[in-house]
Amino acid sequence: MNSIGLSRTTTLRLPPALGRHAGLAAVLLLICLYLSLRSEVFATTPNVVNVLRQVAVMAVLAAGLTVLMAAGGLDFSLGSQVAVVVAVVARLLESGAHVVVASICGVLLGAVFGLVNGLVVTVFNVAPFVTTLATATVLDGAALIAMQGQSVSAGGALTELGTGEVLGIPYLLLIAAVVIAGAAATLRWTRFGRDALAIGGNAVAARLGGIAVPRHTVALYVANGMLAGLAGIMLLSRLGAASPGTAGLHLELTVVAAVVIGGTALHGGNATVAGTVLGVLLLGVVANGINLLQIDSFYQSVSVGVVLLVAAVVNQLRHRGRH
Amino acid sequence: MTDRPPARATPTLQMRGIVKSYGGATALRGVDFVARAGRIHALLGMNGAGKSTLVQILSGAVAADSGVIEVDGAPLTHQGPRAARAAGIATVYQRRTLVPALSVAENLMLGRLPRRRRVVAWRDVHDRAASMLADLDLDLDPQTAVDTLGPGSPTLVEIARESHRGGRILILDEPTASLGGHDAALIHRLVRQLAEGGTSVVYISHHLDEVIDLSDDVTILRDGHVVLTAETASTSAAEIVSAMVGTTVVNERPPRPARAHTPVLRIEGLAKPGRIADLSVTVGAGEIVAVIGPAGDGHEELFPFLSGMRSGYDGKVSLRDEQIRPRRIRSSLRSGLRCVTGDRLGTGLVPQLSVDENVTALHPRARRPLMRWRQLRAAAGEARARFGVVTLQPNPPVAALSGGNQQKALLAKWLSGTAVSACLLEDPTGGVDVRAKAEIHTIIESLAESGIAVLLTSSDTDEVMRLADRVVVVRAGRAIAERRVDDLTHDALTHLLLGGSQ
Repeated sequence: MNSIGLSRTTTLRLPPALGRHAGLAAVLLLICLYLSLRSEVFATTPNVVNVLRQVAVMAVLAAGLTVLMAAGGLDFSLGSQVAVVVAVVARLLESGAHVVVASICGVLLGAVFGLVNGLVVTVFNVAPFVTTLATATVLDGAALIAMQGQSVSAGGALTELGTGEVLGIPYLLLIAAVVIAGAAATLRWTRFGRDALAIGGNAVAARLGGIAVPRHTVALYVANGMLAGLAGIMLLSRLGAASPGTAGLHLELTVVAAVVIGGTALHGGNATVAGTVLGVLLLGVVANGINLLQIDSFYQSVSVGVVLLVAAVVNQLRHRGRH
Repeated sequence: MTDRPPARATPTLQMRGIVKSYGGATALRGVDFVARAGRIHALLGMNGAGKSTLVQILSGAVAADSGVIEVDGAPLTHQGPRAARAAGIATVYQRRTLVPALSVAENLMLGRLPRRRRVVAWRDVHDRAASMLADLDLDLDPQTAVDTLGPGSPTLVEIARESHRGGRILILDEPTASLGGHDAALIHRLVRQLAEGGTSVVYISHHLDEVIDLSDDVTILRDGHVVLTAETASTSAAEIVSAMVGTTVVNERPPRPARAHTPVLRIEGLAKPGRIADLSVTVGAGEIVAVIGPAGDGHEELFPFLSGMRSGYDGKVSLRDEQIRPRRIRSSLRSGLRCVTGDRLGTGLVPQLSVDENVTALHPRARRPLMRWRQLRAAAGEARARFGVVTLQPNPPVAALSGGNQQKALLAKWLSGTAVSACLLEDPTGGVDVRAKAEIHTIIESLAESGIAVLLTSSDTDEVMRLADRVVVVRAGRAIAERRVDDLTHDALTHLLLGGSQ
């Protein structure tokens, strides 16, 4: 993505963005270097493909969330939306629905969740944090209800999607790449994306300038919901079954962490999909490393939190330096 | 006023030779100022005369470049707000610094709540607050939350707090700016009472009647100089006004032929309880009409009303005889009405976005579903050239520009399109330097020449005299006069604005 910007220095923010992500990229490289020295498995093709397959779901969610956060929004319920979609699609498949029908249902379901979030945020003016925390809690429960507390097998219908590949590239990774490119292009090349940045930067000025702020915000939440639907199908295809505790709030926290680590501001007006990708990769590599080095998996949560805290402090210091 | 200490009483506060400049602009050029115990000293001056800089220096918010400040004969050696406070200088700014959700009592003792065994002693809080209020004859319930009080009462609470904290030199920055007669009278009573108790009061105001009625001494600043300092009784409203206005005309008003304007923008019966009552104004094509009022007065409601930023107004707007609903922002933009805020970074521009993107935000060619950066840059280039936006880097975030360039970018954003038929400009040269101000005036004139109906709100008489064809004067939320500017002198306009019989 960085290469797009190099030709036109006047309007693209990417050359400074290169420097902006240099620190994060360096940290990622150092961790990769360390892991490839400590473990023979890390740098092998199967492991790399495996890591990328694992982070694909997170990347889809994080890419959408980056655009939403550009507009000053926030969605804590994406992971829980994924959980419900996984459960519902699995049940549909189990009851014999065609895979395409089930998948469309999954995406539409996500859209409905996004619509609810967006309407509550815009019509009642409830803070996005509170709204989506509430819906996340509701949806976490709804997912358990949908699978009645038991694992639901998706059968073999999605196996091809979950394990297949073209030219050695897994489908899941391809989908993630398309979504990431789409998010980056939206922010950069569409009025929709530029308006999102304007809303996040100064909502009053955006409204007075004729941007339909509520409609725009709802559209962003719906788009995020649809991506959650897509992510749910991707996750189900990888796992083969829906089981209690899949996805949910903890997935979402990781996604938010990835976006923030990437350097997107919580208050909106500024967003970077490139940073988000680096953030997702960093968390994916750290999780993989903990696995490979046979460190107790309890430390994974600790590591995510520490990385997030350090990244947030660094972003804040850099922000302060600019003023 | 006869029982006040005489004018020769030992000064409590003495400032000598205060100089302050910001960058190249000099705000104060050697100001002497004396405030005596038990006397109310009014400080007056037009916008930009240096009043607020003087207040900031007194309160310790900024340091003077040179000069001496003495309190009770001892020079103030330390700088900063703490030192000023320790010396007994307390400032009540125009903006309240109370915590709205807390009670009057808590606000009175903010940061110093009485405690017993480290726990807040609520009975002491309320008792002490009640006795403080009683000492000052204030009829307020200490347990009421500040945000439920009437319009003038928070100011009373804040003055009481500052006086109680040991403010022997009390600086009041336009305490009655947006208040009606009754609330203002309560504040006057409190101020008189504090002065009788020996406090020396520095009273900044835009209301001439108030100054003449209330103050013992008056000092007038113009262009950073003291142009008049006298006992109030020995001067007159006319003398004060001509001292404030001066004789030099800063901006030449180019001759503009008087012509009949076909009415374009019509506002009828704008009202909001407590802020503005029944304001009507019509602006013709190519005409510049100013609505002027003292800072903080009801003319400041025009922007939030007409732009659709806030609701809760009564009043009708029509553009070329078609009614407009300001709250429907998109359709009122489509009909050719543009409202340019006076708060450029707060409600006008998107600070982090680039200059090019800001100035083309309403540009039809630049705003397609798929961005075309090349076209956007071209459109931005035209707008920048027309409005004189100059940047050092090719296209920095708009927040990085100087105030004057931000203001031009703001005008470019809202007015560079072709479909503009009427605009509201709120305080279009607020906080910009003299050169940028002159350039912006030229821009506004050329807008009018192209046939746009220009409505202007301002608190700046210079600007109104320089630009407007007609002026509507608002005071205490009412339109009190409408005049052709050609029939007015600067002094006469200042009189209308500030009151005081001629």
